[in-house]
Amino acid sequence: MLQFLIRRSISAVAIMFLIAAFTFFLFYAVPQDFAALSCGKNCSPENLAVIRENLGLDKPITTQFWDFMVGIVAGRDFAVGHCSAPCLGVSFKSGDFVWDSLMDRFPLTLSLTIGGLVIFLLFGLGTGMLAAWKRGTVVDKLASGASIVLSSFQIYLLGPIVLGIFVYSTGWMENPKYVPFTDDPSAWFIGLLIPWAVMATIFTAQYTRMSRSTMIEQLQEEHVRTARAKGMSQKYVFFRYAWRGAMIPIVTILGLDLSSLLAGGVVTEFTFDLAGIGRLAVESSLTKDLPLTMGAMLFGAFFILILNILVDIAYAFIDPRVRLS
Amino acid sequence: MKPIRSRSVRAIAAIAVAGSLALTGCSSDSGNESKDRAKTQDDAASQQKPVQYADAAASNGPAAEVAGAKSGGTINVYVQSDLSHMDPGQIYVSDAGQFANLVHRGLTNFQEDKNGNLKVVGDVATDSGQPSDGGKTWTYKLKKGVKDEDGNVITSKDVRHTIERQYSKVIFDGPTYVQTWLSGADYRKDLPDGPYKGKHLPDTVLETPDDETVVFHFNQPRPDLPQALAMAGYAIVPEKQDTKEKYDKAPAALGPYKVSEYKAGKSLKLVKNTQWDAKTDSVRHQYVDGYNFTTTIDQASQTKRLIADQGEAKNAIQWTDAVDTAQIQDVVSNAAVNKRTVKGYQPYVWQMSFNLDKIKDKKIRDAITYAIPAQAMVQADGGRYGGEIAGGLFAPTLPGFDAKYDPYGKLKKPNGDLEKAKELIKEAGVKEGTKLTYAYSNSPRGQAQQVIIKDALAKIGFDVQAKEIDRATFYEQIGKLKNPYDLYMTGWGQDWPSQSTVVTPVYDGTQIADGSPNYSHINDPQVNKLIEEALKLEPAEAAAKWEQAHKRIVEEINPAAPVYYSKTIQLFGSNIGGAKYSVESSYIDINNVFLKQP
Repeated sequence: MLQFLIRRSISAVAIMFLIAAFTFFLFYAVPQDFAALSCGKNCSPENLAVIRENLGLDKPITTQFWDFMVGIVAGRDFAVGHCSAPCLGVSFKSGDFVWDSLMDRFPLTLSLTIGGLVIFLLFGLGTGMLAAWKRGTVVDKLASGASIVLSSFQIYLLGPIVLGIFVYSTGWMENPKYVPFTDDPSAWFIGLLIPWAVMATIFTAQYTRMSRSTMIEQLQEEHVRTARAKGMSQKYVFFRYAWRGAMIPIVTILGLDLSSLLAGGVVTEFTFDLAGIGRLAVESSLTKDLPLTMGAMLFGAFFILILNILVDIAYAFIDPRVRLS
Repeated sequence: MKPIRSRSVRAIAAIAVAGSLALTGCSSDSGNESKDRAKTQDDAASQQKPVQYADAAASNGPAAEVAGAKSGGTINVYVQSDLSHMDPGQIYVSDAGQFANLVHRGLTNFQEDKNGNLKVVGDVATDSGQPSDGGKTWTYKLKKGVKDEDGNVITSKDVRHTIERQYSKVIFDGPTYVQTWLSGADYRKDLPDGPYKGKHLPDTVLETPDDETVVFHFNQPRPDLPQALAMAGYAIVPEKQDTKEKYDKAPAALGPYKVSEYKAGKSLKLVKNTQWDAKTDSVRHQYVDGYNFTTTIDQASQTKRLIADQGEAKNAIQWTDAVDTAQIQDVVSNAAVNKRTVKGYQPYVWQMSFNLDKIKDKKIRDAITYAIPAQAMVQADGGRYGGEIAGGLFAPTLPGFDAKYDPYGKLKKPNGDLEKAKELIKEAGVKEGTKLTYAYSNSPRGQAQQVIIKDALAKIGFDVQAKEIDRATFYEQIGKLKNPYDLYMTGWGQDWPSQSTVVTPVYDGTQIADGSPNYSHINDPQVNKLIEEALKLEPAEAAAKWEQAHKRIVEEINPAAPVYYSKTIQLFGSNIGGAKYSVESSYIDINNVFLKQP
């Protein structure tokens, strides 16, 4: 296990470096004067030169990249102050340290993810397994039908409908907003209820369909039939043997979904006017804010890599036949 | 005052704009709209009056009470992106300008009465300034009792520091009028490090004989100085508080509110500045306890929330964003919602700038001017609530505006005069299929308008090559002297209510340079001379010169075809009191708002 972790960590660092280099040089491949983006009404050549100097854009690209990489490990000094490691630079637009901006946005993204995750795992897996258990019955048909309809919805469609009903028309709820859990747990819960509900509705539908089909598949496996033939109860067989096998593809998809949610649920954040990592990534990209874009990309890549490793470890726990070799 | 930064960085929201425009434009003119138009014209009439310079009596606080005003509560502010700056030296566009009204104070300020009449009053100074030496020297005495948020008394040293830091590299985005007037176009060379290494401008330029006196020395009369100093860009940065680049995140307040929390890209909170003394301020109030900005709400969402007027939206206002064009009809056709709007002109005139280095024949420029369907261009920017067809290059917000001025008959023929245009094209000997390169910004508006322009110019025989430019660098690209484009849509608005801030930067040939807003590269000796003369005169006396220059530019040179004057419509919640259109800012008057039920 330790060997596995070391090996995967080294490759993760190498991949992160490649992503950083690729993003950095890709940005500079575009014929774009980044200083001009910060240059306002008096965009004279003198002002452009001042901005280039302030942003460090007057240095060769390779030097800028080196400074960036050194900053991650050892920190850097900027006109606005010292940026401690891991320093991902300073936003061209806001002048804030990128790491601080990411950390400022992350609690919302994490809250959205955790809340949504709890709901859609609970309801999605529960309904899917119930449908598989009651295969062919009214319960199965209802669950399957509803999941097909709901999984064809999108957040940008369902979100405004829910807001229209519960916020704009009836006034039963306030517009979604993020209040830190540590400040006010009930405001945190109420503020995120609509985004969670909308996000979870769509994910629940997907997980219902997926868990139902994988469960049915598992229930038809030879080892499950054998267990039944040996006289084990259906409940025992269901949870002891079939459930484990069904979890493997679900964990794989969950890992991918989680990493993309933690990297920023862009559509959810824009639909509900929330400021998380996803909005930060999109806005920084639109405004060509290179340091912030790189920071958001690396942040997202970090979660993808970490969750990949966790998913591999989870395989071994769920199914002892899988070895981390 | 380029509008682009505040108006077009509406990146994600404007999906359904184009489709909705037809609705906005084609519906019949209702009673509400007639009333709105009459109110807008009244406001414009106030804006067209020359600004008065007030004495010490008018500069003393407190400001006149707003009828029915109550104290307490917090106003929620909806904004779709961060304020451009908070360091006053860097402030040059509207969003930050509104913020500055609440947080910063300068030597002078604009005071607007309930009828929209404007005066320049002393803000930190005792009056609007005392000129001498034929207007080359201006003396300001500071009021007693003006303090920053930490209780430090503001002295003349702070004023000197404010001006001198504009020479340093810390400041690159703010206005340059005063620095240029004091030290010339290369002003940075006179004090490259600003005041930060102990050096100062000589007393022959900027003098502070005692703690309460500041004297500006210019090499020619500068009658507009009181108005220039009222710009947010010249608000005071106390020497002790200056943290250079960091100041943009945490400025020290002199105004009624101070920054209590700022989270880039998310939120901004303002709370009462307890050191602000209403007796020293003849313009501002401190009715509410604070302002909570949410900087993630796009225009469409702002409009939806404010139309619904539920919960916290009742206490909310739009800042410098306007009603989403797709929802304008929902707003104006509902009397209850329409009551909660402010409407009026903005200072911007959208014009088709010709690159005179490329389109040298005036007949061709005139032909294009006649051919442009101004009405369709307005439709592409929100219809009658987004703009109004322009006859000239002076906005309705400027003194000297003449609503009937229409040398190219744009008001009579809002869809263009193709016959006249073709006639001129024939006279100019332009061959069918002649290529013209039209540069446009990749904003939703820019994209919609390029289709109209391409189509209109094709009808008079041009093969228009439309070149899309990233909206973030559009002005930088077309501001290059050697740019490869023949024509481009540009917008410009006054920095203060004087023609000098339009004619001088945009049409003065002596200002041609890379990055200069003289986008057409017009360099007419007669216009240049008129500008030079007008700049030395008092605003009222200069009016005739500016008008002469305007007519010469529009009729005899035609460096830019007038297309439309921009307008705005903003919404506020039902619990907001005192909301009205500000003649000075062209947005909701932020100095007068309060909560009806705090």
